[in-house]
Amino acid sequence: MTALDLQPRAIRPERLFPGDRVVSYLLLLLTGLLTVLPLLYMVSLALQSDAETFAGDPVLIPAAPQWDNFVRLFEAAPFGRFFLNSLVMAGAITISHLVFDPLIGYAFAKFDFPGKRIAFVAILTTLMVPFFVRMLPIYAIFSQLGWTDTYRGLVVPFLIDAYGIFLMRQFISPLPNELMEAARVDGASELRIYAQIILPQLKPALAVLGLFSFVFQWNEFLWPLIATSRTEMRTMPIGLTLFNQEYFTQWNLTAAGALILFLPTALLFVLTQRFLVRGIALSGLK
Amino acid sequence: MARRQAVTAWLFLSPAVVFFPLMFFLPIGSQLNAALFGGVTSSEYVGAGNFTRALADPEVLHSFLITLGFAAGSLVVGIVLGLLLALVLNQSLPGRTLFRAVILIPYLTSISIIGLLWRNILDPQVGILNRLLDAVGLPGQAWLSTHPLATIIGIEVWATVGYTMVLFLAGLQGIPEVYFEAARIDGAGPWRRFLHLTLPLLAPTTLFVSIIGVIGALQQFALPYIVTGGGPGNDTSLYAHRVFRVAFNDNQFGYASALSLLLLVVILVLSVVQLKIGDRTHDGA
Repeated sequence: MTALDLQPRAIRPERLFPGDRVVSYLLLLLTGLLTVLPLLYMVSLALQSDAETFAGDPVLIPAAPQWDNFVRLFEAAPFGRFFLNSLVMAGAITISHLVFDPLIGYAFAKFDFPGKRIAFVAILTTLMVPFFVRMLPIYAIFSQLGWTDTYRGLVVPFLIDAYGIFLMRQFISPLPNELMEAARVDGASELRIYAQIILPQLKPALAVLGLFSFVFQWNEFLWPLIATSRTEMRTMPIGLTLFNQEYFTQWNLTAAGALILFLPTALLFVLTQRFLVRGIALSGLK
Repeated sequence: MARRQAVTAWLFLSPAVVFFPLMFFLPIGSQLNAALFGGVTSSEYVGAGNFTRALADPEVLHSFLITLGFAAGSLVVGIVLGLLLALVLNQSLPGRTLFRAVILIPYLTSISIIGLLWRNILDPQVGILNRLLDAVGLPGQAWLSTHPLATIIGIEVWATVGYTMVLFLAGLQGIPEVYFEAARIDGAGPWRRFLHLTLPLLAPTTLFVSIIGVIGALQQFALPYIVTGGGPGNDTSLYAHRVFRVAFNDNQFGYASALSLLLLVVILVLSVVQLKIGDRTHDGA
């Protein structure tokens, strides 16, 4: 992909869009409302009483907000457990990405070694293999190993991320070599050079990688649906979807669960608003 | 020194040396095995049987065709809207950072939230949309029964237009400023500059968006699974949803493996096309 760099450089006022500011703002406002209003309606839905949800006469704003729904939700299904499972899955995969992706990216950025090109191309090709086409065989293998309905089974297929490796390589390549070479002359071990010279310079890149890895894994739908069958091993997205299938009239409770599932996205949005767009363009996450 | 370098590099690479073969190359090999030998449990050799069956299976063909329709629909609408938003947001407007981020929220939102939320909003009985349409004097619709595929396309566009916008923004920033200055000096107005300069120069981005869009559509499973269950009938049972049903509802693991490998072949071809075109634009520009 070309032109990943979304630096806010000089803006050309009338260069590209042959319209005026009013039209621009109208379009942005309309799109913004279309994006936000359904999500706000989810908040309203989560606070509606059973009568309001069932009545077949939907309301925009509940007469009296039912905060109690957030308690009833946890009584109706083990949402606490779903939350914990999601936290473990997304957390473990994120930590693994943060440990391995920069280490491997560093090897490609700063070392010359036999087999480098082949190794690089091999990892590059995995980018073309979406999870869907390796899901069935991994499921078959994990079933035989007894890894379904385990955290191991949820986590292992995603432990290293080729996107993360390339992102890290991009960040490490331009770093100067002088410090590394000086440390080598001083007899520092290679691991120490990595940990004390390279890693500290990667903090912003690691923050982006960590946040996006976490949110994307937290939202992952397909694999946890297949790799778990016991209720207590379901993750939030699966638990919520199955809850809705069972309690299909309880839209208020479903919406309350959806709000809890939405928390990491909201947090990511608040934390990274200014560099969210650049982060996505850089990370190239699908 | 060179030797020490090589040993260190391979030590750092060792997690990848274990992970990628075990989680990518081995599974695909074992999937081919499963396709050739019927299934995981039954080990009768069927050879190419599962593949030839797939090519003649009307349900598979149907799912493939509606997936192409889904891809075409969501791409046309998504590209027009995404490009428009990118053009608007490439100007120096106060508040543009906020707007860009807001439009990206659905892209970072769980598909299960998106699917469930829209199923509720569009519901003919309890949904708010028909209620609002009614209030302004427009007729309500049983959206997911009368126009299921179009409705799913609409939800897909809502969820992904922010990402398309980001890609177009990156494309726009890659266009050298001198082109526009030259055109301005030659007296080209804004519309002509857009039609004859911006649009052609964005062609590689448009192609990139289209290819990843088709690849994404071919794997779109969660949307039909959550919103329509593939129905009514098989109207929204996209290819990935069909493969899932063959594997886990019909328990035909070998056949599902063959369908999954065919998908991989299509995706690899599309990815190679994309890489080739990427190379060409690099050389040209």
